[in-house]
Amino acid sequence: MQTMDLTNHFKKALFIPQMKATTKAEALEELLDLFVNEKLVKNKYIVLDMLNQRETLGSTGIGSGIAIPHGRTTATADVIIAFGRSQKGIDFDAIDHQPVHLFFMVIAHPNEQGNVYLPVLGSLVTILKDSHNREKLNTITTFEELVSVFHGE
Amino acid sequence: MGHKDLDSLVSLQDLDLMIEEAEDVEKLGFSITGCSELKVARKELSEKISKPLLYRYERLRGKLKRAIVPVKNDICLGCFLRQPTSIGAQGREGNDIFTCENCGRMLYWLD
Ligand SMILES: [Zn+2]
Repeated sequence: MQTMDLTNHFKKALFIPQMKATTKAEALEELLDLFVNEKLVKNKYIVLDMLNQRETLGSTGIGSGIAIPHGRTTATADVIIAFGRSQKGIDFDAIDHQPVHLFFMVIAHPNEQGNVYLPVLGSLVTILKDSHNREKLNTITTFEELVSVFHGE
Repeated sequence: MGHKDLDSLVSLQDLDLMIEEAEDVEKLGFSITGCSELKVARKELSEKISKPLLYRYERLRGKLKRAIVPVKNDICLGCFLRQPTSIGAQGREGNDIFTCENCGRMLYWLD
């Protein structure tokens, strides 16, 4: 599958190389707080509810140590991705029951310009299925290195 | 306050959008296990809505992503066209659900 260039959807302030969270609930909140601190999300608790509701439909822990919690909310303006990493790994009810190390939180406006939300999610899944990319993401230390994995092809 | 089926109709649309999106992300490789519960909830909710209204809604949903949209400051938030003030007064009364003359969506008033 063709992947799109995701670099414009990442932001330097939305990058945690070492997450503090140890539970699924803490992980969702820690990632969401990045959006809140950058004023990219207006109402934290509405979005947290939405993310939790989405998890009840099926865990966004897609296996191989990856989780992509996502959802739409009018509390934001665009399609934005936060990245967080946990060295220890977090139990996220992933489909393969393995702890999650790499988190990508994707928040989108219901009527975002250009309809890129689903293509963004699809590209993330495709890129992260590549074990070579996952290895890189486990070792990167800077935002620039992170973004370089998502240039698309 | 508005038509008696209004809340059910808006909730039905929320559910429909949620189901649609769940099916979309499932195609991308996410695991969706809770969709059948949503569909049960949808069925129960749809049975509370009068048949002609449900039919109107479903016909519109076949053509538009959002069949029912709010009006704020006399503006239809589906197509952003100004609505005649007279419709607003009748719409708020709640004897019927009005449609936007421009885009055809069903309307409800936020204010
Ligand atoms: Zn309209």
